[in-house]
Amino acid sequence: MKKGILLTFLMVFSLSAILAGCGGNNGNSKSGNSGNTGKSNTNQSAGENSGANSGEGTAEKLSGKVTFLTNRTDMIGKEYDEYVKRFNEKYPDIKIEFEASQTDYNQQIKVRMASGELPDLMFIPDIPNSDLPKYFASLDDLQFSSELTFKDFKSYDGKLYGITTGNSTSGIVYNKKAFADAGITEVPKTWDDFLAACEKLKQNGVIPLSSNFKDKWPLGSWVYDMPRIIENNKDFPNERINMEAPFSMDNGYGKAMMLLKTLNDKGYLEKDINSTNWEQSKKDIANGKMAMYFLGNWVINQVIGVGAESDNIGFFPLPFDNSGSNRAPFNPDFFYAVNKDSKNLEATKAFLTWMIEESGYEDFAGFISPLKGRESKLSQLAEFQATGVEMQEGVADDPKVIEISNKAQIDLPAIAQEFVLAKDPQAVLDKWNKAWAKAKKELGY
Amino acid sequence: MFRTMTYNRQKNIIIFTFLLIPVALLLLFTYYPAAKLVFFSFTDWDGYSPEKPWVGLDNYKEVFSNPDIFGVFTHNFAYFVMGLIQNVVAIYFAVVLNGRLRGRNGFRLLLFLPYIMNGVAVAFMFGYVFDTTQGSLNLFLNSIGLTKLGETSWLGTAGLVNYSLASTGLWRFMGYNMVIYIASLQAIPKDIYEASKIDGANAWQTFWRITLPNMKPVIQLNLFLTVTGALEVFDLPFVLTKGGPAGASQTYVQRVVDTAFAFNNYGLASAMSIILLFFVIAVVGLQQFVLSRGGNNK
Repeated sequence: MKKGILLTFLMVFSLSAILAGCGGNNGNSKSGNSGNTGKSNTNQSAGENSGANSGEGTAEKLSGKVTFLTNRTDMIGKEYDEYVKRFNEKYPDIKIEFEASQTDYNQQIKVRMASGELPDLMFIPDIPNSDLPKYFASLDDLQFSSELTFKDFKSYDGKLYGITTGNSTSGIVYNKKAFADAGITEVPKTWDDFLAACEKLKQNGVIPLSSNFKDKWPLGSWVYDMPRIIENNKDFPNERINMEAPFSMDNGYGKAMMLLKTLNDKGYLEKDINSTNWEQSKKDIANGKMAMYFLGNWVINQVIGVGAESDNIGFFPLPFDNSGSNRAPFNPDFFYAVNKDSKNLEATKAFLTWMIEESGYEDFAGFISPLKGRESKLSQLAEFQATGVEMQEGVADDPKVIEISNKAQIDLPAIAQEFVLAKDPQAVLDKWNKAWAKAKKELGY
Repeated sequence: MFRTMTYNRQKNIIIFTFLLIPVALLLLFTYYPAAKLVFFSFTDWDGYSPEKPWVGLDNYKEVFSNPDIFGVFTHNFAYFVMGLIQNVVAIYFAVVLNGRLRGRNGFRLLLFLPYIMNGVAVAFMFGYVFDTTQGSLNLFLNSIGLTKLGETSWLGTAGLVNYSLASTGLWRFMGYNMVIYIASLQAIPKDIYEASKIDGANAWQTFWRITLPNMKPVIQLNLFLTVTGALEVFDLPFVLTKGGPAGASQTYVQRVVDTAFAFNNYGLASAMSIILLFFVIAVVGLQQFVLSRGGNNK
């Protein structure tokens, strides 16, 4: 039976490889930042704003090396080099080193947390806020030209640990020419108008809305943003902590998923929603074969990047009902954080301040400035604001709600997929309500 | 200094020093992580915090109390079926390409090449093949007039998706199995074939009575690889369908990975891995038992 023993070892090897080495294996993972308040994908980035404030007076004396682990591997050797050049004009003695993240940023940072090998500057992975002081330095001493947005988001015990890299909203990104060709003269203000516009586009041989259903992560806006927007209650996702059955047909979750299901049932999404292609969809939006996305504003630059004329791409809030109310979510992207054990703490903070104030990163990445009151240079965002939309700031997720979700293995975009494909959507909601209630009870909340 | 040692002692020292590095590497990168995995399976670790709270057998209890988790094994059945077909096809090509055939090395190379390609790249490539509206498979079916079949959603139909994915595995690993079979075919002594020819055996009899029995240990090996491969498949559904539509193509390993990396429950995920380990041992043990009953134990 020697062979049997050998086989056993062989299997121990292959199985341990599954858990031990898997992180780096997933060459394409698009949904990496799952905990990062939805709709993030790895291509996304953060904001900038060129501006005032030339740092503190003593700043010029700062020196040292700052390492920055970034997910924007595409900017290394390009935009980042230019940033460093401009930064060094002000702080000639600080050396900035960029480390490229492999595939899954969130996962990589967590591995480095576990091994105590954090870089000086990084983005915060999806960990509870109570763990922030264990790894990151307090940033309350940083001075900015105007107030920061989302100050409470990554704070603990009244101390600030994370600064948003840029903010975003979500809405309908559309091809203006496709709209005009289909005879749609103004952007829809109610859900019925929206459906009518979809019908016109469909009649004109255009796919009205590109859902990228198969890839799952593009459904994030439907389930992370729409429920609280529909409920007109920014705390709605966190209030689930008090609910035994958080998913119902007549609350935000059911209504939001029903919007998507309606679009699919009427044939306004891709012909086969289980076979969609993200990269191709960007080109199709650009050339007008598809008319709309319901995604964050970060996608605008990507669509322009594959060849769309900027003038031809518009952006408006999704009209989710027929009341004419006009609300849209306001969400932070990744948060910068500074390693509390950094050898060059002050130099790192100086670089962070510079990134927020002067780098110009947010315009490059298509975000709204992390600083209050700064106007976006992007015409689409200006257009969006001009509709008079009310921006509803998101709040940090309650760690208990995350704990229950994880315990129940609730992945909202996946539930939306099930919901849309199901013959009996109520059964899907019932199933996940049951899982929720069970996890909640086991955790004792 | 070696002169003072006995020959046996010298031999032992040489063996020891030669083995030191490979064994150290093996222990460090195979058995140490495996031991850690066992340890994690008894904890409630979230994947990054320094504390790893000990929870005893809770994780194992949770896995067995949730019938959902084992339900995904039915999805692996498609890979098993395709794996069997793959072995039959591999034996066929091995026998054909072992005979006198012009350009047989070229054919061998062609069939083996897919195995060398990176699994994720293969998965991506087949994403374009299986695409419903623009995929090459459906375009081909349409072009030969099968328009009805050419509208199939290969990756979007619950009953079909696993077979579509598994056929990709067949394409990729068939050549590998074939090479192993060719090696074993070449090890069969020629004189047996000559003797059978003198006795008047036809080609089918030769194959059935001589080739197959001689290949039996290798067939067992390949079946073992097929079964474990079918139970552990991960990259194809991960890249192509993310487990969709609505979980129809989710595999056990994918679920383990989700539990660990998406839901931050490394303890439970480790326990699931250990359970898979024992499950594979059980299945392979059963297979060995059934297959070795037939003939003399070689």
